[in-house]
Amino acid sequence: MEKKNLVNEFSKGLFQNNPAFVQALGMCPTLATTTSAKNGLGMGLATLSVLVLSNIVISAIRKLVPEKIRIPVYIIIIAGFVTMIDMVMHGFTYELWKTLGIFIPLIVVNCIILGRAEAFASKNGIFPSILDGLGMGIGFTLALTLLGSIRELFGAGTVFGITVWGDAFNVFIMILPAGAFLTMGLLSGLFNWIGISRAEREKQRAKLAKQQAKAGESA
Amino acid sequence: MGSYFKTGLVLMAFSIVVGLMLSVVYLVTSDPIASAELDAKLKAIKTVLTDPQSGKLLISEDKIPQDMEQLNQIAWKDSGEADLFHAQKTQSFVSSPAYRFTLEDGRTAYILSGGAPGYGGNVVIMASFVQSPSGYGLFQVETLDYSGETPGLGANISLEKSRERFAQIPYSGLQAGVRVDRDAGVNPTKDPAARAEARKNGVVIISDIMTGATITPRAVANTIDTMFAYLQAQLEGE
Repeated sequence: MEKKNLVNEFSKGLFQNNPAFVQALGMCPTLATTTSAKNGLGMGLATLSVLVLSNIVISAIRKLVPEKIRIPVYIIIIAGFVTMIDMVMHGFTYELWKTLGIFIPLIVVNCIILGRAEAFASKNGIFPSILDGLGMGIGFTLALTLLGSIRELFGAGTVFGITVWGDAFNVFIMILPAGAFLTMGLLSGLFNWIGISRAEREKQRAKLAKQQAKAGESA
Repeated sequence: MGSYFKTGLVLMAFSIVVGLMLSVVYLVTSDPIASAELDAKLKAIKTVLTDPQSGKLLISEDKIPQDMEQLNQIAWKDSGEADLFHAQKTQSFVSSPAYRFTLEDGRTAYILSGGAPGYGGNVVIMASFVQSPSGYGLFQVETLDYSGETPGLGANISLEKSRERFAQIPYSGLQAGVRVDRDAGVNPTKDPAARAEARKNGVVIISDIMTGATITPRAVANTIDTMFAYLQAQLEGE
């Protein structure tokens, strides 16, 4: 694979195809766990780990798995990694493990993981699959952290527990599920608007270049 | 027929490999998990023996257990793996062991842990009951496990402000039976004095903090009720 393509495999998940804001995947943990920046970051990193590990294994075994049972095999692999991450977090990040609670085991059914396994890792080599997992995982982590930071800032006046304006200005709804939907909708709109604007600019640039080339030919 | 066997064998092979990997990770993480659980328990004991208003400990710091051995020495009731008590109606339970402390002023305090079903599993708490002239009152509560509760909703039970609402329920309130405000038909209030007055009747005002998640504080209230019933029964028997 070309170097440019590899860079694209990594970067597409960060912005252009951000799993949360553009593809609207994994909405359950995105909306439920982002009550604070720390929770968002923790959930994002747990998902990133599972995504990269499962992409590596699924890519490595893609030729060994019969077509008919590929989905059950992927689920076994993903569930295995999620259980491992759950045990590691239980032992080493106890408070975060307690806070994220049921959403750690639920990473198994996060459609980003199975989606990337089916759409990318099962059709590509190990290295591009790692880049794809990293890009999508980091994109998801950044989205959750951003969402959590905004909700924590407006809901509690802090970011990562650090006081910004404290109790001086709190919008209670931001901590509630309605706040998650509002913030998600606004950020999703912003991301899509940036994406569309960029596509428009590129279209204009291409059109201009075509016109210039035509003018050069006729001259 | 052969293809069924082949796919079955492939699935079995993957399950075995993943199972083996899990057992390795379990072996590596079992000690840190046990250590993290013990640390959380010791921290919880310290929390439930700390006055929520003054922040002072009811016993000197050196009397608080630091490891499993010291913890076992202060066990009051121990039934091993089995729970000490079960309440059929609310499905709440008191876990083993229960601990007893003698406070600086000579009073006795009991520390019990237990739980009841919440939204996505058992909500497990630790609570301290301290002797008073009228009888044993609830001193302080700490949440030990709320991993089945939804973050931002039921998981708010672990917040300090939620804990404070359950703290300092006098003997009269425990005897009346602990209920959350919604179940008791009481409106929430921001006045701390009115909240303390409600606690005298066993009413915990918490719906302003736990909006949309009454199941979780109800589980805590049921657990406190069960703990108190167990404590009363044991003390009468002694």
